[in-house]
Amino acid sequence: MTSHIAHTPWHRPPESWGRKVSRLFGDHIVPSAIKAGIWLWVAFNLGLLAWVLMTSLKSTRDILLGPFALPTHIEWENYVTAWDTAGFGQATLVTLIFVFSSLVLVMGFSLPAAYGLARRMDRTASTLTAYFAMGIALPMQTVLIPYFVVNTSVGQFMTDWVTGAWDPRIGLVVFYSATAIPWTVFVLTAYFRSLPSSLEEAAQLDGAGPWLIFRKIMLPVARGPVTTIAIITGLGAWNETLLVLFLVPDGAQRTLPAALLNMYYGLQYTSNWGALFAGVVLLVGPIVAVFLWLGRRIIEGATLGANK
Amino acid sequence: MTSRKGGLRAFIWPAVLVYTLLFVVPAIYGAAISLFDWSGIGTKATFRGFGNYLFILTDDAFRQSFINTLVLAVSGGILIFLAAFCCMAVLRQMKGRGFIRSVVYLPNIISPIAIGAALSFALDSRGALNQVLSWIGLPPQSWLGPDLVFRCIIAGLAWSAAGFYVILLMSAVDGIPEDLYEAASLEGVTKVQAFRMITLPLSWDVFATCAVLWVIGSLKVFEIVLAFTGSANSGVPLSARTVAIQQYMAFNDPSGLPHLGVVSAIGVLMFLLSLVLVGLTRRLTRREALEL
Repeated sequence: MTSHIAHTPWHRPPESWGRKVSRLFGDHIVPSAIKAGIWLWVAFNLGLLAWVLMTSLKSTRDILLGPFALPTHIEWENYVTAWDTAGFGQATLVTLIFVFSSLVLVMGFSLPAAYGLARRMDRTASTLTAYFAMGIALPMQTVLIPYFVVNTSVGQFMTDWVTGAWDPRIGLVVFYSATAIPWTVFVLTAYFRSLPSSLEEAAQLDGAGPWLIFRKIMLPVARGPVTTIAIITGLGAWNETLLVLFLVPDGAQRTLPAALLNMYYGLQYTSNWGALFAGVVLLVGPIVAVFLWLGRRIIEGATLGANK
Repeated sequence: MTSRKGGLRAFIWPAVLVYTLLFVVPAIYGAAISLFDWSGIGTKATFRGFGNYLFILTDDAFRQSFINTLVLAVSGGILIFLAAFCCMAVLRQMKGRGFIRSVVYLPNIISPIAIGAALSFALDSRGALNQVLSWIGLPPQSWLGPDLVFRCIIAGLAWSAAGFYVILLMSAVDGIPEDLYEAASLEGVTKVQAFRMITLPLSWDVFATCAVLWVIGSLKVFEIVLAFTGSANSGVPLSARTVAIQQYMAFNDPSGLPHLGVVSAIGVLMFLLSLVLVGLTRRLTRREALEL
């Protein structure tokens, strides 16, 4: 007991010089330096966003005069060039269709599966959960060539024998959804496990079947986090580039990131930096807008999988 | 309960079926293709056994790309977790911590193509960074030249990815009870020591998960390299090629006849490498679990 009392602060012997120095560093200098570093990081991120926005409104002549020079006039023409000439208008439409149709597929398959896995506490369920987790470690690069071969041959077959026409982007949606399912199932399973099952048991006693319980009780209860996870899945689709480059050969049919890349490659001939930055804003702007609106929830959703 | 379980089976199997048929089976098909020399539908496939793998492992460009990817995984990981640890040490009690987390996380959900395009313009020989350097009297550097570009890519990637690990680790830090820190502070423990003695041990599980996620992600790095080196006429310089880039270049073979077997074999090697590195990471981060 006595040793315990001796440790309370008002009985502590005067600090040695060495301790004072270590307190000065450990409590003040190092934390303050780190805090300053973090604020610099924040300032850099915000500054970069502002700089991209400003550059997208400068004429290419102004841009080449100096990276930090303020625009002499607002060059809306950049956006017109990106939207029309560089095909961003078309690409935006393609991207929206791609994002929404893969979202429907991914969530349509993942939601029931995750709920089922979370509520079945047997061995099969844990094996299947591990099986889905394996898919997170499976790089898309392993399946690129099979996807390419299948997509090309299905397209060929449909054109020759069935419909007379085919869009490779159908394959893009289907295959992208398949690769997104493992993560979505995994995270949603972790979330459904954290929900108490008392509500469902009550409904079950009243004679409700699993499908009714899932639709009328679980989905409404889980609406917030499920929306968040859907948004994160959608953000992934919005930014997807690799699969687009492999599966959609025609540049005019590709999504926004590929359109930006294409414009970037063409820069050595056009030198239209202003339009390139307008393209960056068209690609990034919607993401930033969604983040301003739902940022806190997106951050909560992104941390869901790792903590469970 | 049996009838309920039977009902739930119908919830699970469609996703299992889709995932198996459209992701797992293609991976196996890819492994099969990797054993052949094949240029696509309508051409003849010749069995090569492990010939494609031997070719990849002895080819200088491929070897370089594997080394680059490992360098990126290790040095990017060091940068990211150094930044994340710094945040864990002080962010808990900073003013505006929610705002800081959001701003730091934002680059993570922005297309790497956009990040690469904007950053590489800032790093251009007449770009923003060299302008800043000239203000403080330092000589300009050729940041996008073959010597430095890969370091810039690693830094850019670490910058854009770090926020994700910051928010993951901070969500673990938020779960640590405040009175632990108060008790430690009364005992004369400094904030830096508190990080080492309290914060890090109690969030170690999440750190281990983060390390695995980073390793998986770092092996697939692709878009940001394309966007950093896109304006170069000669394609991606050897010094900046990751495995994924090397695979893409093999697929877009200038002869117009890609060796699909080789391209597939790279994909299989990436999966194996990811398994090995995940196993290694889990081993390195294994500790006795700490519970409060």
